[in-house]
Amino acid sequence: MGPTWTRSHCPLIHLAGAPSPASRAPRRGRVVSPTRASIPVSSSPAPAPVPTKPPLPAASIPISVSVSPVPASVSVPIGANGFGPPPNTLTEPVWDTVKRDLARIVSNLKLVVFPNPYREDPGKALRDWDLWGPFFFIVFLGLTLSWSASVKKSEVFAVAFAVLAAGAIILTLNVLLLGGHIIFFQSLSLLGYCLFPLDVGALVCMLKDNVILKIVVVTITLAWSSWAAYPFMSAAVNPRRKALALYPVFLMYISVGFLIIAID
Amino acid sequence: MDEGYANLPTSHLLGSVPAVTQDDRKPSPPTAQDAAATSRLQEFPPAPGGNGGGYRPPGGPADGDVENQADWKGYFNVASYAPYFNVDTDVVVDRLISSIYPMDGFYRKIDANPDMYGPLWITTTLVFMLAAFGNYATYLMQNKNDLDIWNFDVGYFSWAASVMYGYAVIVPGMFFFLFQYFGSRQSLVRFWCMWGYSLFVFIPGSVLLLIPVEFLRWVIIALAGGASSWFIALNLKECTEGADLMVLMASASVLQFALALFIKVFFFA
Repeated sequence: MGPTWTRSHCPLIHLAGAPSPASRAPRRGRVVSPTRASIPVSSSPAPAPVPTKPPLPAASIPISVSVSPVPASVSVPIGANGFGPPPNTLTEPVWDTVKRDLARIVSNLKLVVFPNPYREDPGKALRDWDLWGPFFFIVFLGLTLSWSASVKKSEVFAVAFAVLAAGAIILTLNVLLLGGHIIFFQSLSLLGYCLFPLDVGALVCMLKDNVILKIVVVTITLAWSSWAAYPFMSAAVNPRRKALALYPVFLMYISVGFLIIAID
Repeated sequence: MDEGYANLPTSHLLGSVPAVTQDDRKPSPPTAQDAAATSRLQEFPPAPGGNGGGYRPPGGPADGDVENQADWKGYFNVASYAPYFNVDTDVVVDRLISSIYPMDGFYRKIDANPDMYGPLWITTTLVFMLAAFGNYATYLMQNKNDLDIWNFDVGYFSWAASVMYGYAVIVPGMFFFLFQYFGSRQSLVRFWCMWGYSLFVFIPGSVLLLIPVEFLRWVIIALAGGASSWFIALNLKECTEGADLMVLMASASVLQFALALFIKVFFFA
């Protein structure tokens, strides 16, 4: 009779005592916010591991609330769905930021340069564009060419960097002027990512200084870069002007390929 | 394909690169639009107001004196230069071919729709070709003479860029002002277009200049320079009909030939 009286007359005590199902479930999951925000792992002993790959921008995002077991005023990280303040990425460790950016670069690279089922839809190809990847690739190519050169090293770097950076901007403006439909920074990002095969080629040519090998390697990587950039650029303009939009892209990559072959 | 880009609401943002709006994709009505387009293209730079589907500066008055107030905004807007790139692939190829053949129909082709796509990419291609083939040609010459001191000269890129872009921009501008001074009103855009297309003959010329026989090189560059000068003279005569300015036409031809000689001497030594 005692326990029954307790339960029926004091239901709140029962609820407060035992951990409710609502707060037990989130300990299995984590806050997985849509694209760029992440979970601050500041001081709360969160039990679940950090997701290692960036979440795809789809609808199947498990949104849950992770509440620390101590019922104190700890910051409650909540996903960016309007139920609270957005997560604060300023307080996360630097390594988490770097890891997240690297993961994004890798995923963008896989989408753009390697064969995958999304290639036919240019809009989806680089929806999560960033400029870190292109920056690394351009600087890496400039540095590799500069290391390979025997004279005028700094001028080689300057020419390579100027050609690639100004070239990407001018190519994007070219498509816009021809009446095409692209987003400016998405196109810059794409042209930078398509440099990755030429980076690999430049590295190989720097290590092994044989002219025939250089020609073969540069031809292969040039074809690969052009194949990566083709669907995006050709879909962006009117079909009657497709060649006008694609020719400057090939021109830029061919000139960079020539630089790789000729610098010794 | 995802057509959502045309609906991006960026046109109201000052200074942003506007996504092309819906109006641009309607096929333009044939006659009325062309007359307006031609009259708009007579003057360079373009006035921002009245561009079909382009960006309109916010808050400007809708009447005639919009040019005075909002004129400077047209320079920094991508959409205001789009009329000069209104060409298709076959049109560009046709103009390129007629720049080599000695027929005198070129100026009539560009009169209604001068494009800046041709001059821009012809000069850029020429910059790369001169730098690349110039290096390769000096390499071949040194190989033939059994010298082993060749090094890739990356300064060729800087020199080629300065010379070609400088020539293609400054020389037509200079002649525009000279023609104005002598009273004959010309169109600067058409001058730029014409001079740009006249440089196209140097592209196959620089490929042929790889042949490491010195006498043959001089013959090739003389032919290319001569063709280019003749193209310029012919088209200048056509566009300035009625004004007897032989001095200017002769000096334009001489300048073009001097450019050809400079290319040979500097890049293909």
